[in-house]
Order: sequence, then structure tokens, then C-alpha cells
Amino acid sequence: MVEVRGVDLPDLFSSCVLALFSLLVDRRTVREAEVRSAEIAGDTAEEQLFFLLREAFLLFAAHGYLARNAHVTILGKQVTLTVRGELLDTSRHPVHREIKAVTAHAMAVEKSPDGFLARFLVDV
Amino acid sequence: MQFKGVEIRKLSETMWEIPREGGMRVPGLIFASEAMMGDILRDEAVRQVMNVGHLPGILKYSIGMPDIHWGYGFPIGGVAAMDAREGVVSPGGVGYDINCGVRLLRSDLTVDALRPKLRELVAALHREVPSGVGSTGFVRLTAREEEKVLTEGSRWAASRGFASAEDVAFTESGGRLPGADPDAVSAVAKKRGRNQLGTLGSGNHFLEIDEVAEVFDDAAARAFGLFPGQATVLIHSGSRGLGYQVCDDYLVTMADYMRKNRIDLPDRQLACAHIHSPEGKQYLSALAAAGNYAFTNRQLLAHQARETFLRFLGMGPNDLGMRLVYDCGHNNAKFEEHEVDGEKRRVLVHRKGATRCFPAESEDIPGAYRHVGQPVLIPGDMGNASYVLAGSPEAMRLSFGSTCHGAGRRMSRTQARNSVRGKSIVQEMERRGVIVASASHKTLAEEIPEAYKDVSEVVGVVHDAGIASRVAKLRPVAVVKG
Repeated sequence: MVEVRGVDLPDLFSSCVLALFSLLVDRRTVREAEVRSAEIAGDTAEEQLFFLLREAFLLFAAHGYLARNAHVTILGKQVTLTVRGELLDTSRHPVHREIKAVTAHAMAVEKSPDGFLARFLVDV
Repeated sequence: MQFKGVEIRKLSETMWEIPREGGMRVPGLIFASEAMMGDILRDEAVRQVMNVGHLPGILKYSIGMPDIHWGYGFPIGGVAAMDAREGVVSPGGVGYDINCGVRLLRSDLTVDALRPKLRELVAALHREVPSGVGSTGFVRLTAREEEKVLTEGSRWAASRGFASAEDVAFTESGGRLPGADPDAVSAVAKKRGRNQLGTLGSGNHFLEIDEVAEVFDDAAARAFGLFPGQATVLIHSGSRGLGYQVCDDYLVTMADYMRKNRIDLPDRQLACAHIHSPEGKQYLSALAAAGNYAFTNRQLLAHQARETFLRFLGMGPNDLGMRLVYDCGHNNAKFEEHEVDGEKRRVLVHRKGATRCFPAESEDIPGAYRHVGQPVLIPGDMGNASYVLAGSPEAMRLSFGSTCHGAGRRMSRTQARNSVRGKSIVQEMERRGVIVASASHKTLAEEIPEAYKDVSEVVGVVHDAGIASRVAKLRPVAVVKG
């Protein structure tokens, strides 16, 4: 189970995206060579987070892209993700583990004393 | 015995019933010894067996095998059969790795004859068989060829010279699940899978050289082409990123379906759709396509392994005698005919971490095995044993022709990694007589033998329950992992 904290929802969501990529590689090895973006929509914060992480994961799984940094904006139900990173180079980016998918199991977005807390699980 | 206030009824030394309560449409049935039930009752898998019992159209029992442990929605080691007209299909009842399964190849060699060259042979297999995250297969697929793989399965491999007619015949379902529709598979799923065909993967996937350590049933072993001391190859892999994405895509589709149709279940990970709904039919078509990809994947891995053996040993195929014993999946949903309340009925059997095990005389198994039953391949952990079993008539009566699929985890991956900090797993495995070649120390740590239940105990339960009988025990002598 991955647990992430943020001061507000955009900060929380961008930290979740980076936590996801940190499960894959040491992000310090990733250069900010290329910008990519994605948009999702969800009715609840958990739904937004689920679809956001799914989309972020597909950047890697389908396109071989790794994120070094991430920025999220939220406007109502719409969430926009902008990431800076580069394509996977196995000689420089040893991948820690194979992730099958981001799951909705026990996914939670909650208020905390310092802002927000999220939990999510990936299938490995 | 009790599970959170629910009285578990002992039906026999190997069968335990969870009575219907609340919204359960059928009772639960767990195959386990009394000793195993202690551990099982501490796992949320029992709750999951009960939750599965709520699914519309479920028949007889929500079943758990002795290797049962917690999964998403359905437990791993779970079996649920649905009425084909009224019931639902659930991607969680199959798993992310659609048609993950095991393939056993036999040879005319003994392990003793291989031993002087074993280390170099393992190194060659590790080089030639793509494994680990980011690995790509030796076949470059166009989009069109990939679609043929999805519809034709092992037959595609045969058309390209990567499979013999015997390979196809001795794969479950002839290596091709009917009803596959590539259009039901998303472009993203196809993209994930395109370069991965013929790769092992990582995690608990492996290619092993095993020795036939013990034969329990001479007639069945002879039928399967097995003898004591023999060198065999055991391969565990599945549908790779394509299958994972199909499951992921349809979990979202079915969550929508459940909202629109107001299907209320105790766990949203049991997302499902009626079999005959457009969503249900599309998933089943995509499932068949991903299943065919998995059969083809294991066929290409076997082809690579065979070619490596032949080249390294400088032998001809007739001398090596490396032929397929069987290939069976353990994550699937298949339409089958089973007896329910005294009548033959068409049902959809979900097996998630459970293996089909059809008995002798079944028309769905190769003719050469119809006098002994379907081979069932049960991989254990990398240090101890795997088993070859044969299907039995009792399985058709008790478990919709199903049995266990492996040892089942008893430690989480984190616990396993923490338990071996600072130790050399490769050296420890060599002390046990197993040569290990792996790209990832982290993966190896997560797959240590202690992380798994005792497969001999698991197999003992299914044997004693009469749902599958022991034929041979295999001992690993070399393991290739991603």
C-alpha cells in the first residue's frame, strides 16, 4: 500500500503520480527532456485519483515514458496532468519491478491535519 | 471453527462449508486440511469467498482451493461457476494476468547427464529467453500479425514454424480459445503487448529445469512421458501487458455497468456484467483474445528453450525428445457443461488461481491422455517442488472440474524482502542444489521459498479430497527468473 501526503488536492495528486513512478525507477536517473500531458475526469476525489494514476501508468506501460516531475491542476471534475521526463533507457533506468495495473482496491483520499492523505495499491 | 462470528462447518477432513448468510446466494466451500484452516481463517480470503457468493447466477458453491489467499475482489485460488443464461462474468474472477498458466516439456535426458554442463546451459537460457521488466520478444509483430495471434493462438505459432502439431494438440483448448475478437481489445492493450510476445515477465514467472524426483502413478507417468531422474522444463508465464490491460479496461467498463444496472455487491472489485449483456460479451471476446496471446507466449518461450537446448547440447530433436506434456491455464473463465442438481447445464466457470482438471474419458483432453485424465501442473516455490497431477471424476462432482494452481503466498513481498536483507539468495539456493539466474535481486528476494506455503501440503489436500491425484513430483535444479 502506497501512502502519500499533500497540502492540497493538486499537490497530493502530483505527489501520487511521482510516487507511482518511484515504484518503477529511481526518478533521480530520469532527465526532464520531454513534456507530456493528460486529462481525466471523475465525480469524486478517489475517482479522479484512480483515473489519473491509470493514465500516468499508461505513459510508462504503453509508451515507455518515465516522469521526473509532475504538476496537476483541478477544475471541477477535470484534472490535468503535466509531466516532465524522458523515454525509458534500460541502460540508465533499471526498472525496480513490473507493475500490472493501478487498482481501485482500498483507494482513499482523506483530509488530514496537514492537508490531505491518499492511499493506493498497485498489482505487481 | 469460526470466521468473525460465522460458524464454519466441517464436511470432511478436506472440505469446509461456510453457510449462506446475508446476501449470499450460495454457501462457500473451502478445500483445506484442518491445520491449513487456521492460517486461512486469518486471511481476508474467507470474506472474499463469502462476497463472491453474492454474485448473480452463481451455482452450488463459491469455492476456495487450499492455496487460497487474498486477491482483488475474488480470492486467488477461487472458483465460481455461473449459469450461462442468467449469470454474470467478472474480470476479478479471472485476474489481471489472463490465462496465466504453466507448460511442462519432457525430454529423453536425465538431469545427471546434464549436470556437468548445467551452469552453462542455465546461463544460455538466461541469455536466450527474454525475461525481466522491459524485455522484448524475438518476434517483431505488426499490428495485423498481433491480431492473428489474438484470434489463432498457438496455431499462429505453428504457421510461423514456432510450434509443432503436437505442441498445439497438447495445449489446453488446442491453444486457441474460441470467440476471440481483437476489436474488443483496446489499442492501448495491444500496444502494451506488441513487443512482449515471447517474454517470461518477472515476479513469480519462471523457466525451470526440473528433475522428476518421484513417480506416484506409473501408468499416468508413462502416458505423460515422464520417468524418474528425467530432465524436464517447466514454464510459468501469462498474457503480459496485453492481458493486464484488458482486465484493467473491463474493470472500468463493468463498474459503469453495475452503476447503470444498480447491481449492488459487497466489494466494488467484484465488478461484473451479465454474460449476455454487450459489456459481458465484449469482455468474453477480449478474454479469449488475451488467452490466445498467453498460449502463444508460452509456446514461443518453449520454442526458445528447446532451440537453446538443441544448440547448446549439439543434439538433434529426436535425441533430445523435448516434447510438450501439457499447457494449462489457471486464470480464466470458460464455458463448460457441468451437472447441477442432477441436470447437465452450460455454465461459465471462473478460475482465478485455479486449474481445470478434467477426468479420464473427457473429450476436452488429448486422446493420448483419455485413459488417465488431464495433466494438471502445480508449480511450487523455487527451492522445493512442483507437481504433476491428473484430473479425476470427483473434481467434476465437487469443484466444477477445478483444483489448486500452486503453493500460494504466505508472506507478502515486503515481508519476504525484509527477511533476507544482507543475505545472498543465489548462494543459499545453490546450497539447496538449485542454480538461479535472475536479472533482479529484489524479485528474487520476493520469491524465496519461505514466502510460499508448502506445495506438498496443498497437493496433499486436493489428492485426499479426490479432485486431482498425484502423478509425479518435480524437483528444481535450475531456475531462470526475470
